[in-house]
Formats: sequence, C-alpha cells, structure tokens
Amino acid sequence: MRDLGVNILFEGLNMQRLLEGLWITTRIALISISFSIVFGIITGLFMLSNNKIVRLFSRFYLEMMRIVPILVWLFIFYFGVTKIVPVHLSSELVCVIVFVMWGSAEMGDIVRGAISSLPIHQKESGIAIGLTELQIYTYIIIPQAIRRLIPGAINLATRMIKTTSLAVFIGVIEVLKVGQQIIEYSLLTYPTAPLWIYGFIFSLYFMICYPISVLARKLEMKWQH
Amino acid sequence: MVHNTQEALLEVKKLHKDYDGLTVLSDVSLSVKKGEVIVILGPSGCGKSTLLRCINGLEAIQSGKILLNKVDISGSDTQWHLIRQKIGMVFQSYDLFPHMTIIDNILLGPLKVQKRNKQEAREHAEKLLHRVGLIDKINAYPRQLSGGQKQRVAIVRALCMNPEVMLFDEVTAALDPEVVHEVLKVMLELANEGMTMVIVTHEMDFAKAVADKIVFMDQGEIKEIASPVDFFQEPSTERGKQFINMFNYNHLNKERE
Amino acid sequence: MKKIKGLSLLFISILLIGLVAGCNSSSKEVSVIQTIQENDSIRIGVFGDKPPFGFVNQDGENEGFDVFIANRFAEDLLGDASKVEFIVVEAASRVEYLESDRVDIILANFTVTDERKEAVDFATPYMKVGLGIVSPDGELITDVSELEGQKVIVNRGTTAELYFIENHPEIELVAFDQNTEAFNALKDGRGAALAHDNTLLFAWANENPGFSVGITSLGNEDVIAPAVKKGNTELLEWINEELETLAEEDFLYKAYDATLRSAFGETIDADDVVYQ
Ligand SMILES: Nc1ncnc2c1ncn2[C@@H]1O[C@H](COP(=O)(O)OP(=O)(O)OP(=O)(O)O)[C@@H](O)[C@H]1O
Ligand SMILES: [Mg+2]
Repeated sequence: MRDLGVNILFEGLNMQRLLEGLWITTRIALISISFSIVFGIITGLFMLSNNKIVRLFSRFYLEMMRIVPILVWLFIFYFGVTKIVPVHLSSELVCVIVFVMWGSAEMGDIVRGAISSLPIHQKESGIAIGLTELQIYTYIIIPQAIRRLIPGAINLATRMIKTTSLAVFIGVIEVLKVGQQIIEYSLLTYPTAPLWIYGFIFSLYFMICYPISVLARKLEMKWQH
Repeated sequence: MVHNTQEALLEVKKLHKDYDGLTVLSDVSLSVKKGEVIVILGPSGCGKSTLLRCINGLEAIQSGKILLNKVDISGSDTQWHLIRQKIGMVFQSYDLFPHMTIIDNILLGPLKVQKRNKQEAREHAEKLLHRVGLIDKINAYPRQLSGGQKQRVAIVRALCMNPEVMLFDEVTAALDPEVVHEVLKVMLELANEGMTMVIVTHEMDFAKAVADKIVFMDQGEIKEIASPVDFFQEPSTERGKQFINMFNYNHLNKERE
Repeated sequence: MKKIKGLSLLFISILLIGLVAGCNSSSKEVSVIQTIQENDSIRIGVFGDKPPFGFVNQDGENEGFDVFIANRFAEDLLGDASKVEFIVVEAASRVEYLESDRVDIILANFTVTDERKEAVDFATPYMKVGLGIVSPDGELITDVSELEGQKVIVNRGTTAELYFIENHPEIELVAFDQNTEAFNALKDGRGAALAHDNTLLFAWANENPGFSVGITSLGNEDVIAPAVKKGNTELLEWINEELETLAEEDFLYKAYDATLRSAFGETIDADDVVYQ
C-alpha cells in the first residue's frame, strides 16, 4: 500500500501552496464582486435611462461583455494592451479589471431586470403622494429591487468565483493551477492524486460558496417580513 | 352631499391629450366645486383614466389648462410634488408598497413629503384607520390584507395627506364582489363629510347614490354633464342612452326574475 | 452617461499616464541584454505542469530539463544561476508572452513549426521529439512491419494517428480521446501497441514494468528550441552562441542525466531526446 493518496495533500509545501492559491482566488473574486456591485447599480440605472443613446450604449456594453468570451478579454488586456502601450499591468490587476467590467455589465442587467420587474404602479403611487424621483428610488424602488436581485446577484457572485480559474491563462497561479501542478508532479507516485487534489479543491470552493448562499437564503427569509 | 355656489376648486379647460398622434382626450372642459362629487361614466377606452392622470400630472397634456384654486398647474414650471399633496389619487390596482407595514405606507407621504411631526401624523393615521375599521392591521404587511382592505388603506394613505380633492379610478374594479361594498361605503361616507371627489366607476347604483353630477364621456370627449336623476332617467344623447340601456339590460338579467 | 464618460476618461488617463511613464523607462535604443543585466534578472517562460521538462515540485520550486537549461543561461549571462525569474506559461499563450514582452525567453517545450516561425524567432534546437511505439515486453514490437494485421492504439487528432493514416493505411487503429483511456486499453490488450510522442512513452514505460518502447523514433522528427520575441536578434544570437559553447562541454547530456534519465529509465539513449 504505497499509495495512501491523502498524503499528497501534506507532502512538502503542498497544503500551503493550495491555500495560497485559494487566497489568490478569493482575493480576486472578492475585490471584483465588490466593485461589480457598485458599478453594476450605476450601469443598471443607465440601462433604464430615459435617454435612448445612453440605453443603447449600455446595451452595447452588456452585449460586448457577453459575446466576447472572458478569456479573450483577459488576453486583450494582458497581452493586447501591452502591445500598443508599454504598460505592464500585473496579471492579477488585469483579472480584476476584466472581472469588474464583466461583473458590472451582468450586475447592471440584474439591477435593470429587478427594477423593471416592479409594477409601474409602484412608481406612480409614489408620484401620487408627492415623492420626488430621488425619494421614490430610495424608499420604494431600491428596497424592493434589492430583494428581487438577491438571487441573481448571488448566482453571479458564485459564477465569478468559479471563473477566476481562467486567470491561469494570463499567469495567475490560482488554486486550480496549483492543484494541476501537484497532480502532474505526483501522478506517477500517487495514481489517485487527481481524486484527492480535486476533491480537496472542491471542498475549498464549497467552503467559500456555501456561506454565500446561506447568507442569501437568510436575507430572503428575513425580507419576507 | 354638499351643494354650494362657491367658485370652482378644480377646473379643466379645453384639455387636449394625445399619445403619439392618437387623440385620447379632446376639448375636455370640466369644473369641480368644493365639496362636489363628480362621477365620470363612459365605455371602456373612452379616456376616463387618462383624464384623471392628466389632472394629477402623471400625463403631459398637449393643450388646454388645468387650474387648482385658480392657479394654473398645467404649465411646465409646476412644482408637481407640492400640487400632488393637494390632490389625492387611488388607483384600480392595489398599489400599496409591499415591503412596508400599513402604518409606514400611510406615513411615507406625511413624513417625507410634508415633513410633518411624527406624533401628529401617526395620530392622524390611526384616526383614519379607525374610521375604515382597520386599526388592528396597523402593523401588518399588505400581503396579509384582502383586496378590499388594501383599497381602504390606499384611501387612507391618500387622505392622510389632507388633500383638497380626491381622485378615484375604478377602485373597486379589481375586487371580489363581496368586498366591493366595504370600499364604496368608505367613499360614500367621505362624500357625505364634504370631501371633493372625482370618481371613475362602473358601479351604476353607487354612481346614482354618490354623485352630484354625472359626466358622461365617449371617445375622448365629454358628451353630457347632468344630475344623476336626469342622466339615469333620460340621457340627452344617443350614446348616453345606449350606455344606460346596456347596464339596464345587465341588471335586468341579474336582478329581475 | 456623464458618469460612464467620466469613468472611461479616468481609465484612459490611467492608461496614458502609464504610457508616458512606460516610455520614459524603456527607450528603444537600450540593448536588450544590457537591460537584463541592469535588472539583474532574466525572465524565462517555462511550464509548471509538464514533468519532466518543466514542472513545480512539492516545495513550489521550478524543476525539469527546460528549467535546468534556463538556470545555466542565467549563470552565464548574469553570473548566478538563481538570477532567473520563472514565469509559468500555458501552452496556448506562449507566443503572446513573447509578443507582449512579458518574458525574455520561452523555454517551454516549444516545438518549432512554420506557423510559429512567423510569430517568434527560434534559436538553435536543444531537443527533439518524434513518435514512439510502446508494447508489452513479451511481444515487443521493434519494427513497424510487425504491426501488420494488428491493432494500434492512438489518441484522436495526434501526430501519431495522422502518421499511421498517411503512411500505413493498412494498419487498423483504435483511437481514444484521453491519454489514460489509451494506456488502459494497452494494458487490457485491446491493441498490440500504442503510438504517441516518444518522450511521453519513455516516462510511462519507465513507470510500468512489462512494457517497453520498442521503436523510439518514427516518422518526421520535430525539434524543440528556445524562442525570443520576433526581431530580438541580439538575444537570439546570444542564445545561439551560448548553445554552441554548451555543446562543447556536452552540457545538454548533463542536463539529460540530471533531469530526464531518472524519468525515462536507463534503457533510453540520450540521443533519442537531446539535439546537438
Ligand atoms: N400609455 C399609453 N400609450 C398609448 N395609448 C394609451 C396609453 N394609455 C392609454 N392609451 C389609450 O388611450 C385611450 C384612453 O385610455 P383610458 O385608460 O383613459 O381609458 P378608460 O376610459 O379609462 O378605459 P377603462 O374603462 O377601460 O379603464 C385608450 O384608447 C387607450 O388605448
Ligand atoms: Mg381606466
């Protein structure tokens, strides 16, 4: 029984490397998600603007982010931009920029969907009791919209966490890549390495994503009342 | 029902409204005195809702004038959020804010728009809720209320702003038949207390009972203005006759034999 | 709208500031080698998950044949084998790393092809790779002619499959998508032999007693070479001279002994892999 596969997790600095990889994943995801929420709300309001050009422009932005794969955006910003201007943005920064661009577009669409799914009468009732546009948004539209966009936003956040694995293509050694390196290195001595490493990474992802969905469910429950 | 000879509280003069070239209201003139109850009747799509929405500034108008207390409020410089405190409106759909309790729904306008004292506004709201028999629902959420109860709260929410005139747009149309009367009762009481009201309804018996004046509209125009007695006995226009007959026929079926 | 305009303005100005700053620091007149010497570090792109050529060991250190050579480059250029910054690259983006100036040299099992020659400049090759055929020791295949009437296991879409279709249409192929599937098929006896890149087979046969690579080189050999950015003749010439010097002391054979021999086993001849 030379193949006690679980040992692979504790050989050398493997555990530390996996956790460092996880920290990079989490860091990129957390920063990107936070900025995406802020810019997403702004984008969402643009998408609902009365101005046709603004609406068209934000629609175009969303479609661009959807049609062009994230990987291509990463390449454009990491390799392409450098060909035009000699700035070397670090791969992590490029990841954050691209993820924020993508996240803001998607979040914007979620915000737009949440707000426009509110019955028009909600806004009109607000108008009828004399609230200003700003008051209507603060007291009526946004509180209701937030409740409606929570499921979509949580979904987006977990999607963003998982998509961080694309970062490896521009040289970010995140948790999945570390896992792959360990597997390739030890495959001949530990044939079951993939099972253990991917199983471990799976539970790491679970540890990040599960609390988020629990939190979301709690919020939804709370807002039922 | 209070009749007096005061000057008009609300006046609509030669109002014209269209949606992208489609005329919805043409040459509509109407005057409402203080304490008067006007009921607007007419077939579906004739522009009744649109007229109320124009009065409340929810729709822009193409020409004509709307005056409240002799002040023109149809100009582009109108401070609508100030005017709307004086014009309460209740819609057909239950339009309470679902994320707020009943009391918060009612107090939003008085506190945020009128900046009234919280204590005073709350007492006012409680008094009104008492009157419509819903004081026990003060901390409930809208979804815990029936349709009829929601509409009564919507009326209270408008009343709590101390409006000078109230507009009602088919407030019972979406309700189950058995709760219609509880809303109509509240409106009838309001009328008896001297509230100035403009009511759009399809409840003919209620119209007969509450109206000081019937305004009959068809195809975006006011066809006739008459007392309820005159209108329901002998409408002066052909369209008016047809309209009444249609309802009589319905009622014949339902009520007689 | 205003806000978006503002944001993109901000973004563009950040880029512009970067551009100006970047221009100041990297004037085109300065020699590439001089810049590397000034930085006191050379950036070399290697693989992190392709043992035994480029991989990361359990302590997180880069290792392998390519890495061994890279360290020597650093030693001869900067006087210290450790003055190399290893940048772990993906196969798909090796060209991009060079084009965007993010590495000085790619030493990542980079096979020379006509298409790639358009995009980067290859130095003298240091390794070769060909097809090999592995089979059970009991019925070892040492010549292609022995395969007649037998089944050969290949991976779909690889050079091995292509080679047999073009040159030996008479031999029946059993194709798989995954390496593990193909090797399992060989163990189960679903074919007489398995054809694949010879280096991969060397390592596999070494770990699987009872199997040997009876044919170590078949068909056209491809060569593997260091690559630099297109037009970077200064560094290219340095690498070529360096490889010449290294050849005199048989350095590549030492590299083979240090990194590949243990993985491929004693039966494999270094000349099947090393290009000199
Ligand atoms: N936003 C709009 N855009 C275009 N046309 C509209 C709009 N709102 C209403 N209309 C049209 O204006 C006309 C009058 O509509 P309105 O809602 O005022 O009728 P109504 O008399 O209230 O009818 P009902 O009794 O069915 O409520 C209708 O022909 C309607 O189709
Ligand atoms: Mg209507």
